[in-house]
Amino acid sequence: MNEKKGFTIWFTGLSGAGKTTVSRIVQDRLRERGIMNVEVLDGDVVRTNLSKGLGFSKEDRDTNIKRIAFVCNLLTRNGVPNIAAAISPYREVRDYARQEIKNFIEVYVKCPLDVLVQRDVKGLYKKAIAGEIANFTGVSDPYEEPLNPEVVIESEKETPEQSADKIVAKLEELGYLPRVPKQGVYSEEEEAKIKKRLEDLGYL
Amino acid sequence: MAKNKKVLIIGLDCAAPGLIFDRWLDQLPNTKSLMERGIYGELESCIPPITVPAWTCMMTSKNPGKLGFYGFRNRSDYSYSGLSFATSNLVKEDAVWDILSRLGKRVVMVGIPQTYPPKPVNGYMITCFLTPDTKSQYTYPPDFRDEVEGLVGNYILDVDEFRTEDKDQLLREIYEMTEKRFKVAKHLIKTKEWDFFMMVEMGVDRIYHGFWKYCDPLHKKYEPNNRYENSILEYHKYLDQQIGEILSLIDDQTCVLIVSDHGAQRMEGGICVNEWLMREGYLTLLEKPAGIVPFGKAKIDWTRTLAWGEGGYYSRIFLNVKGREPQGVIEKAKYQQVREELKTKLEALEDGQGKNIGTRVLKPEDVYPVTNGIPPDLIVYFGNLRWRSVGSIGLNTIHTFENDTGPDDANHAEKGIFVLYDPGNGGTRKPSPLSGLRIYDIAPTVLHRLGVNVPSDMEGKIIQ
Repeated sequence: MNEKKGFTIWFTGLSGAGKTTVSRIVQDRLRERGIMNVEVLDGDVVRTNLSKGLGFSKEDRDTNIKRIAFVCNLLTRNGVPNIAAAISPYREVRDYARQEIKNFIEVYVKCPLDVLVQRDVKGLYKKAIAGEIANFTGVSDPYEEPLNPEVVIESEKETPEQSADKIVAKLEELGYLPRVPKQGVYSEEEEAKIKKRLEDLGYL
Repeated sequence: MAKNKKVLIIGLDCAAPGLIFDRWLDQLPNTKSLMERGIYGELESCIPPITVPAWTCMMTSKNPGKLGFYGFRNRSDYSYSGLSFATSNLVKEDAVWDILSRLGKRVVMVGIPQTYPPKPVNGYMITCFLTPDTKSQYTYPPDFRDEVEGLVGNYILDVDEFRTEDKDQLLREIYEMTEKRFKVAKHLIKTKEWDFFMMVEMGVDRIYHGFWKYCDPLHKKYEPNNRYENSILEYHKYLDQQIGEILSLIDDQTCVLIVSDHGAQRMEGGICVNEWLMREGYLTLLEKPAGIVPFGKAKIDWTRTLAWGEGGYYSRIFLNVKGREPQGVIEKAKYQQVREELKTKLEALEDGQGKNIGTRVLKPEDVYPVTNGIPPDLIVYFGNLRWRSVGSIGLNTIHTFENDTGPDDANHAEKGIFVLYDPGNGGTRKPSPLSGLRIYDIAPTVLHRLGVNVPSDMEGKIIQ
């Protein structure tokens, strides 16, 4: 009897917002819980194979997302947890993915455009602003924010680890992962002891 | 500059330049000799100048905003009770010992704050006072504790019962802790192979906080010719003797540093931050507590509260923002305005006699290039750290001169100490004191001395 639950963690957000970074940490967190078979469909990688040749028109973008959703659905229904990390800028096609995939967790990786332009890890924003890249989401192409994502990550305010923790907590809440007691460093008693020590010393 | 084979750091938590460099230098012959033959200067701490995050800032050369923690306890979410301890698990940046361990260099570490729980290193580690007790795993490797305990019996992580009125007992405990730590340190220096050795002695901080009023004629509670008048001096003389013994164990290839994470100054009193916020209309209670209670136990009317504050040697103020805190009331568009308003009012705070106390209010985004984790909304140094922050509710006053949760003798100060002596290079004598030294300079200086490339994201400079 296979009780293992498949699910899809669907990251959406502008280029450079942190989708890939956080998805890798989530993958590590799942592995730490003994879930070794996590598949990751990273947008940049998918475009070099599954969606090779597709461009960035709305139609091509929708096709790309539908293909990713198709694979995610196959994995999910066969009990394989998976993570999709693509910009997926259009709400309609994300909603399509949500309908197709049974256990769907939408994670909105939010980051203000001016922060992304400043960060510009891949150097793409500079090119897009200079007009060297057409149809660039956030600059010359629209991005439609999710209305009801399961998790919102604010990558300019949180560390990637904290963001990953939020996602794992949501997976627990939704029953995709068994709840484990918080693996804090201190037991309750120890924490009280340290707190008392620091209070006595005037630190708190 | 020739490279050193080894670097040895003696960390003295809280050691104040005014006492060591000036007031008592002639009575500290070993320290004086290092200063005369090496370089020294005041070392500017991080913001805030508190043990956690300061030692980690020093040894990673990263600011608290980058590290993502701002004190011993930090908000882990935007709830009203989400403060969690900043243990070693929260340190995601490489410290000097991580870099050296990866390169196969051998490290020995004793008592460096924020190293509990212990992480593997290429060498030996005894954790710090944030370890619950010696029943916890306080060494790396785990069985190294047997060697420590074989040498000193019960190793002392920190003094117990700091708030005791029995000052003789407190002094005995501080000495016993320090004696054991130096005994272990000297043993390790002699018996282990190491390229990098670092110890941090907490006794300095403890004796300052517990005994400052006895030795500072300007302290409100100072009494001339009291029996503890020389307690801090005698302790410093004892430390100096221990430093001398360590110096006798090392060769001329070893560069020695003596550093502190921040300094100290007399404490004038406490500002009851939450009482003040209530008086100014920023904080509302559901019901008045019977007596004095910690803030966490008070019943707060969050729907009518704009801000609350944390106690400690400095204060952190948090705003109750709509869409961020569970029952936030400040509209996002009004956030900056409320902060500005608070800043202006806090900076106008006076002592009981109508004299402005010189409070400094800092905004995290102004002092840190990035603010990872959840920073406080305001960082407040009451009286530029001459006044502590009292978080409790029910004191019915803004100023207090009695204990609420902590001793009232000394507070932290921004400048600690830096001494570096390199015997192999004919000393490092340069006109000292040097100025402009920062806590972030220590890690790059250590790596450089050991001939290791300094990572480009370290924030400090190499002190030469």
